Amino acid sequence: MGLLTNHRRRRWRAEPAEQPDPRAQTTARLNILKLVVAAAFVALAVQLANLQLVRGHEFQQRAQLNQLRIEPIIPARGLIYDRNGVQLVNNVPSFSAVVIAADIPKARTLQIADGLQQLLGVPPLETTLKIEQARRSNDPFAPVIIKDGLDQTTAFRLREELSRLPGVQIAVEPVRHYMHGNVMSDVIGFTGRIDPQEYAALKGKGYIPSDRLGKAGVEATYEQYLRGVPGRKEIEKDATGREIRTLAQDPAKPGDTVVLSIDYDLQKKTTELLQKAANGGQAAAVVMDVHTGEVLALVSLPTYDGNTFSGKVDAAKYQQYLNDPNKPLVNHAISEEYAPGSIFKQITGTAALQEGVATPSTTIAANGYILVPNEYNPSILYRFNDWRSFGNLDFYGGVAWSSDVYFYYLAGGYHWYGQNFNGLGVDRLARYARDYGLGSKTGIDLTGEAAGNIPDPAWKQKTFGDVWTLGDTYNMAIGQGFVTATPIQMVRVTVAVANGGTLFVPRVVREVRDAQGHVIVPNVPKVARQLPISAANFAIMRQAMMDSVSWGAATAAHVNDLAIAGKTGTAEFGNPGANGVSDTHAWFTGFAPANNPQLAVTVFLEKGIGGVNAAPVGAQILDYYFHRPQQAAAPGAAPPQGIAQP
Amino acid sequence: MNLRNTPTHEFDYLLALAAVALTAYGALLIYSGSLATYGSPSAALSHPVSRQIAFAVVGVVAMLVLTRVDYRLFGPLSLALYVLSLAGLVFVLVAGGSAYGSRRWISIGGTQVQASEIAKVCTVIMLAKFFADNEERVKSLRVFAISIAIVAVPALLVVLEPDLGSAIVFVILWFGVALIAGVRKLHIAGLLALFAAAAPASVLGIAAGYQKERISIWLDPGKDPLGTGFNILQAEISIGSGGLLGKGFTHGTQTQLDYLRTQTTDYIFSVGAEELGFIGAMVLFGLFVLLLFRCLRVAGHADDMFGRLIAVGVMTFILFQVFVNIGVNIRLVPVTGVPLPFVSQGGSSLITLLAALGILQSILGHRRKRSRRV
Repeated sequence: MGLLTNHRRRRWRAEPAEQPDPRAQTTARLNILKLVVAAAFVALAVQLANLQLVRGHEFQQRAQLNQLRIEPIIPARGLIYDRNGVQLVNNVPSFSAVVIAADIPKARTLQIADGLQQLLGVPPLETTLKIEQARRSNDPFAPVIIKDGLDQTTAFRLREELSRLPGVQIAVEPVRHYMHGNVMSDVIGFTGRIDPQEYAALKGKGYIPSDRLGKAGVEATYEQYLRGVPGRKEIEKDATGREIRTLAQDPAKPGDTVVLSIDYDLQKKTTELLQKAANGGQAAAVVMDVHTGEVLALVSLPTYDGNTFSGKVDAAKYQQYLNDPNKPLVNHAISEEYAPGSIFKQITGTAALQEGVATPSTTIAANGYILVPNEYNPSILYRFNDWRSFGNLDFYGGVAWSSDVYFYYLAGGYHWYGQNFNGLGVDRLARYARDYGLGSKTGIDLTGEAAGNIPDPAWKQKTFGDVWTLGDTYNMAIGQGFVTATPIQMVRVTVAVANGGTLFVPRVVREVRDAQGHVIVPNVPKVARQLPISAANFAIMRQAMMDSVSWGAATAAHVNDLAIAGKTGTAEFGNPGANGVSDTHAWFTGFAPANNPQLAVTVFLEKGIGGVNAAPVGAQILDYYFHRPQQAAAPGAAPPQGIAQP
Repeated sequence: MNLRNTPTHEFDYLLALAAVALTAYGALLIYSGSLATYGSPSAALSHPVSRQIAFAVVGVVAMLVLTRVDYRLFGPLSLALYVLSLAGLVFVLVAGGSAYGSRRWISIGGTQVQASEIAKVCTVIMLAKFFADNEERVKSLRVFAISIAIVAVPALLVVLEPDLGSAIVFVILWFGVALIAGVRKLHIAGLLALFAAAAPASVLGIAAGYQKERISIWLDPGKDPLGTGFNILQAEISIGSGGLLGKGFTHGTQTQLDYLRTQTTDYIFSVGAEELGFIGAMVLFGLFVLLLFRCLRVAGHADDMFGRLIAVGVMTFILFQVFVNIGVNIRLVPVTGVPLPFVSQGGSSLITLLAALGILQSILGHRRKRSRRV
């Protein structure tokens, strides 16, 4: 402090060089700040003058020409091949008339809408509405489709008129072409225009409002691979929206290649065989590799043509599909639940063996029907019919002949008229059926799968408010009553029987490769679970199914030079007709070669008898697969780039 | 004695006029910049512009009230204000609302309050108070270090939002205040050397990824012409195409066709430069220069160190924000999101600035008349 006062005192003693006046010092420092302010604004002004005065003309041109625009580059959608390299889809150009709302002078909107009416037949009100909507949206530069799927002539005429129609453009976009008509539709599905809800959900992922995406089948389930990664380009456009030049480009990454597990040749044959048997009605067939769960053929009839939806939707044909009572747009192989009938006996049979309810030598008198007295009033008798009278049957005979009585015993037991046979009971049977994957989705890589139903007392109480009866168990034993399943579920059951208990997650896609041929999704079988049934018991069931083809109910499935094991099913459905007889579903499920199973097939016909109508189809499919001419040289089967077999 | 305690009651009309003129200039540009987004003139008028005018009214009232309040009152209050503003910044980090990936505001009664704007003024007051209290020891390293800590705390809190632009504002205002406070040149040199040594590390590591990206894009906007580079290129085209006289108010094609983004906030200068041209920009520059020089005049006339340093601090952060904001628009400075004082849309900034000018008026008006002799 003392020191400071000393300084103060000395101040008037004129020694400015040594100890400058703080006030002057502050003023000097403030002057520095004034200089900083001036310098800052001079720097800003110089750069501003450079932009506005020196280079102003250049920027004026750029702003006028403008108009810097960012456009997405839609990637080429990935292609789809069958397991042998047969190309199944390609991308073809489609023309559509679009408008860029921001490029349409407000005063000329009506005039342009009128012009488009003359050229395209689109009502002017519709056009103006779309334009107005786009103007108010936050991206008035996004192309809005006025009409798509233009034919060549219209596209040419429109092109000539474009100079009169500022803001109107012809967009050329690739659309899917399904090369094999409707043979592959239920597997591949189709692509279509993105709808507003889908767009809202996918907006951040590089989709644009006029985009296309997979709507069904593999196109939908493998959308993320087939889509590719969109690129972006920055372009300059003039006032009428013509592209002047590309300033920067970030190329699109093409979609990945999807290789199906489907064998196109077999798929085609299966379709033909099934078509003959189905007679225009609903039918389905699924062929599955016993060791991998790969689906080699999946056919649903009647089917549809994916090309109906891929470009401009063919409204008449679409309406026709919708009105068809046989529902061609529904995949009957995976999306519809049917009573499986006697092919369910694979489950009842193996469950009974495993639980010790039956052995191969368990003999039951199957005399055409059984009678069960009412619990409270024994004079009332319920009759449960077989489809025939067989006399005494052992396990092989019970399966081979598909005796209903035999399986009534195995599932429900029988304790009357001096007999005392203990069955599985509903709970154990339901447990095994669920182990076999029934009552829940298989997880196949396709859209719209149904779960089917495995009933039990709790389910019946909840659904019908009624108690479970012995009759319900009997019906369940033979795949009737409340049991429903899809063909894909049933072929999986047969595959498990054939391979000794491995339940697969079915796949129609073998692998996914990128454009360079690198495998992205490898071909690895997906196992759902191992069934809790011994190998010996599966072997017994396989032998019984072989017997069924040799001398039982499935002899219609016999072919030369191939040992087929199979099981037929004929399931009543609906109400009995005028003659008191219900319509029946026909089923056949089987595998071959019987002693060394490789391929399993399940055939379903909405109307028919298993042993008469379905069994021959299944047998012909297996026969074709094992006896067809070596198809390595099938036409068009040259492995595409990146599909080379290892 | 009586005479010495009479305030001068001086009111700097030019300072107030410059501020009000800048605010009005801003309101016009906000109107023009909102047309594209709000569709119709009436909607643009009724929403963003009316809000901005309401904020301006609140700000002017605050300015007039503070003009009457003796600025010395802020001395004892400085620590409390400072701590409160820090609490606000912490609150923002914990529970603030976010935009473009950073948390920047608190919602109070439906209005978004940007805590960092208030913190700037409170930090200036705290810093001024600290230096004024330690006038005699200003050359000591201890005072130097504590003064740095005073700005470092809010700066770090703001960096965490992350808002590097505002954080740099704190650092720069410290330089302005410290210079006038008279800290030892050697200390400043040492600090600068430290910065220089740490710069490469901070560019590589500490600086948030977005900031690095912004710098590299600023150097070459063509690298990402569709993302961040888009704004840089479009702002440049907007400004350049404005030329000498501009395209006319509300007739800027870039602005009205929505090529410019955030055109009422960070890129509002581009709107003005496009529509009002170089001349319009020079008018804006003139108003800013007037305002800043009047702030420095307050600093020069201030009775005491406390008042002088507040004036310098306020002047410094206004200058820095003007320079950075316009610099970003004209590609002189890498993209940093700071608003253009008085002009950009936003109530927190506008009200705080007008209030700060009120304090400056108070510094001018509450000088004590004294004889020249002493």
